Amino acid sequence: MLKDLRYAVRQLRKSPGFTLTVILTLALGIGANTAIFTLVQSILLRSLPVVNPAQLYRIGDNDDCCVNGGFPGGATDTGDMTIFSYDLYKHLRASAPEFEPMAAVQAGIWDWSLRRGNEQAKSVKGEFVSGNLFQALGIRPFAGRLFTDSDDRTGAAPALVMSYKTWQGEYASDPSIVGSTIYLQTKPFTVIGVTPPGFFGDRVTDSPPDVWMPLHTEPYVRGDISILHQHNLHWLYLLGRVRPGTSIPALQARVSAAMRQWMMTEPTLTANGGAGLIPKMHVVLTPAGGGIQNLQQQTGKGLKLLMMLSLLVLLITCANIANLMLVRTTTRRAEIAVRVALGAGRRWIIRQILTESVLLSLVGGAMGLVVAFAGSQMILALAFPDARNLPISASPSLPVLGFAFLVSLLTGVLFGLGPAWLSSHAQPAEALRGVNRATHDRSALPQKVLVVLQAALSVVLLAGAVMTTRSLMNLEKQNFGVVTADRYVLHFDPAGAGYTQENFQSLYREIEQRFSALPGMEHVGLATYSPLEGDNWGECVIQQGHPAPRPGDDCFSTWDRVSTGFLDSIGVPIVQGRNFNEQDVTGAPQVVVVNQAFVKRFFPKGNPIGQHFGIDDVKYSGAFEIVGVFRDFKMNDLRGEVHPVYLRPLRQMFTGYTDANDISAESSSMNVNAILLEFNRPQANVDTLARRTLQGINPNLTVRDLRSFGSQVAGNFDQERLIARLSALFGVLALLLASVGLYGVMSYLVAQRTSEIGIRMALGATRTNVVRLVMAGALAQLAVGLAIGIPAAWLAGRLMAEQLYNVSAADPVALVSATAALTLCAALAGFLPARRAASVDPMQALRTE
Amino acid sequence: MSETLIEIDDLKKVFYTDEVETHALAGVHLTIRRGEYVAMSGPSGCGKSTLLSILGLLDTPTGGRYLLNEKPVENLSFGERSRIRNQEIGFIFQSFNLIGDLSVEENVELPLTYRAGMPSAERKKRVKEALERVNMGHRMRHYPAQLSGGQQQRVAVARALAGSPSILLADEPTGNLDSKNGEAVMHLLADLHKEGSTICMVTHDSRFARQAQREVHLFDGKVVSETELKKLTEEQEG
Repeated sequence: MLKDLRYAVRQLRKSPGFTLTVILTLALGIGANTAIFTLVQSILLRSLPVVNPAQLYRIGDNDDCCVNGGFPGGATDTGDMTIFSYDLYKHLRASAPEFEPMAAVQAGIWDWSLRRGNEQAKSVKGEFVSGNLFQALGIRPFAGRLFTDSDDRTGAAPALVMSYKTWQGEYASDPSIVGSTIYLQTKPFTVIGVTPPGFFGDRVTDSPPDVWMPLHTEPYVRGDISILHQHNLHWLYLLGRVRPGTSIPALQARVSAAMRQWMMTEPTLTANGGAGLIPKMHVVLTPAGGGIQNLQQQTGKGLKLLMMLSLLVLLITCANIANLMLVRTTTRRAEIAVRVALGAGRRWIIRQILTESVLLSLVGGAMGLVVAFAGSQMILALAFPDARNLPISASPSLPVLGFAFLVSLLTGVLFGLGPAWLSSHAQPAEALRGVNRATHDRSALPQKVLVVLQAALSVVLLAGAVMTTRSLMNLEKQNFGVVTADRYVLHFDPAGAGYTQENFQSLYREIEQRFSALPGMEHVGLATYSPLEGDNWGECVIQQGHPAPRPGDDCFSTWDRVSTGFLDSIGVPIVQGRNFNEQDVTGAPQVVVVNQAFVKRFFPKGNPIGQHFGIDDVKYSGAFEIVGVFRDFKMNDLRGEVHPVYLRPLRQMFTGYTDANDISAESSSMNVNAILLEFNRPQANVDTLARRTLQGINPNLTVRDLRSFGSQVAGNFDQERLIARLSALFGVLALLLASVGLYGVMSYLVAQRTSEIGIRMALGATRTNVVRLVMAGALAQLAVGLAIGIPAAWLAGRLMAEQLYNVSAADPVALVSATAALTLCAALAGFLPARRAASVDPMQALRTE
Repeated sequence: MSETLIEIDDLKKVFYTDEVETHALAGVHLTIRRGEYVAMSGPSGCGKSTLLSILGLLDTPTGGRYLLNEKPVENLSFGERSRIRNQEIGFIFQSFNLIGDLSVEENVELPLTYRAGMPSAERKKRVKEALERVNMGHRMRHYPAQLSGGQQQRVAVARALAGSPSILLADEPTGNLDSKNGEAVMHLLADLHKEGSTICMVTHDSRFARQAQREVHLFDGKVVSETELKKLTEEQEG
């Protein structure tokens, strides 16, 4: 074996051009796959860095984030509950002692303002968790201690646990942090400990928590908008460590039964026919060794698609290198014939060729790791452009190294097997009579087959690239209904700076005044949620005079609390009635403006102006009067139709609610998060200007995020952009490899046929005849490749359909452009050898023979 | 009488190309005894090399029988033929067929590396002995390109000898050499024969053919006597 290896090294050193080409090609092929696998491993396959993750189970199997009332999300259709209220958590925890223990974590990881002493407040990510979470996960503190149940009860001193990364990055690893007082939303907390390095929480996410707080501190932090004790608001994910030996299906059935029992006691769920839905309500217990799977569910299909595309690239790479190896093996026929004549069995020949191919692939794989590292960094930057403390590293982990090794090994075997098999069938008699006397070249057909394979796979990749790119363009260029030019969105946190219901309005007024006074400012808008930021608030609308909707009825509308200048700031006109004005304040008639989709859905007949509706209960159905209709724009769902949206004025609270939950929600909606700025010309220093203006109002007002409106909209397509760019990259790579492959084979065939061409020319063939002869060969291979590739591309399009937007599986543009690009490159790749063939000197060719 | 090493009976080889059948061997009968030195001669295309290929198990006959060491070998599998070639047959080719990337030592060792279970020390010992036998022991570390044609052919002889084969098959061993080097190689073969080696050599040089113990003449794929060969050749030329 060592001898084979030594000989292989010598052989490869003898052909540095070949070796370098193969290694670089392999580095690209293996590197692309390893880069994608780095992502797949980090997101889809990784376990949480906790003790015995296989024992962890989550109650629930989908997202349904973040705060839901009634039957959350799709629960009315499927009966599948995945998000729970605190009261329901307590009930389930008591009903399922098999969880040792059952923990609760906040479904949404929210932004909070954090300040130590007189330092400038920082915007951080924080998560309310049950006191037993860290016990359930089995992690130990890096410093101090972690929560226990005693930290999570009424009256306990507010405690906070900080992540190692935040402690290191934001507080310079200051050891005095443990035990110190820190202000979260202006409320003092004691930092009791720091989590161990590498721990990133209960899920893989691009924005893991910087701090954790016990559930019982939620009312302390959020005051009158607290949701902890609201029975009908579901905002917690549940997970825990299941006692070994427990039957999961039986436990699932028991938890489901306990949940239904609790639901039957909840009037908000049993009312209006809800009781009829409860029997089908259930939970699904899912393994939670990898944590809450939200990101996995969002990105899983895209990642699998990328993995498939990169595997196609690797297949093309293998076909390409197998071709090069075949050509090389052919040139070594004499040597192999001698070896066989001397008694080398097939096994020996195959081993020798495979040693060379595996050696090449391992070196290529090692170089591929460098490509993979650079590629992973690029992919992470594309996929998570705004990530802070991303728990995904581009550095290859052990599983990634293992994957790269395995892929390299397999690749080596794959591209070496054909040449090895052909070599092992070398005719030993050629050692006697000489290879030039051989009349049959066994490698010509496999070479052509490999070119056909490359052409077919290239069409698939190219068509896929065009489809994903067109899909992205369709998404980006669609009519969102808003104007983004010279507009910016600033996210901030008034509550984090200590503002409350009492002084919100004065703050908002000051913000409007100060920002409006900035040079070049056209409009300033304030809103609880800005369009297309990825978050929104939905309510079930009840038209005046209509009965209460039943659970599952399509009554939902997105709604937002906005200032008078909001619609102008996003370039959306009123098409009927009026916009809000300064008279729309608390005490005046409650007014709303609605979009066209809202009118179409709820008031399809007659004039919507003057119509009334409400939410939550029939008794409130006359609460709001429609005073205007604005043109449709996309508030959250970019792929679907425009949903119904209604807007309520910022200065107008509805004081008619009697239920505590409704009052709390109404109060909560007054907490504005976004400032929308429209300038009348492009601005160069918006960041400085905006931050200075906000801090001029109050130094504790922190900017959570500031970006152009265009960039906020574009941020919705990060995953699509990643897929489009990578598939384009893979498509170009495939085209290049296929062209090189075709060129190599045609060059080889021309060299093999030099004497034949000489004879043809001696017999009167013109240069054009020769070019035509060679080109016909090249184009024939291309034609077969296209005949296989086009239907394959159509099939691939069907598989990708879910990832595409307004692009059909048999997209003619994609199929035609892929065919055209490949034909062009193939024609060029065939023409160069054809021209060389046409320049053969017949006399020279015949003398050579 | 020494024992029979090779016995072929009514051996035929037909090459099929498109619609043409070429009878390269048309019923050859031949016996070679152990320790014998046989030269095969005949005009171009008479089937010498084809016969040597079949004798060396490089090719298979279309018909007839072939006994090597009293065992039929005409219908063996590829692997079995490889094993016998490796252990029983030593080849000396006209164009030497040394592998340029291997040193002299590695070239000679090559057939031994295909022999499973032979320890490295044993291989090295045999290589050294074989090279010393052909007076090339001082060139072990050299590469073929660093040797003259005559030296390369001596290395090829050493490679053929290293495996201690039952028979040496030489295909025009002097064909690519000048007369001086050709003579030297022929002397070497004669010496090997004197030491007991069985040799079967294809040559169309009558001087070298006469150095063998026995001459076998081939014409149109058949073994003929010297008188017949002369007559047939004259008829063809006439």
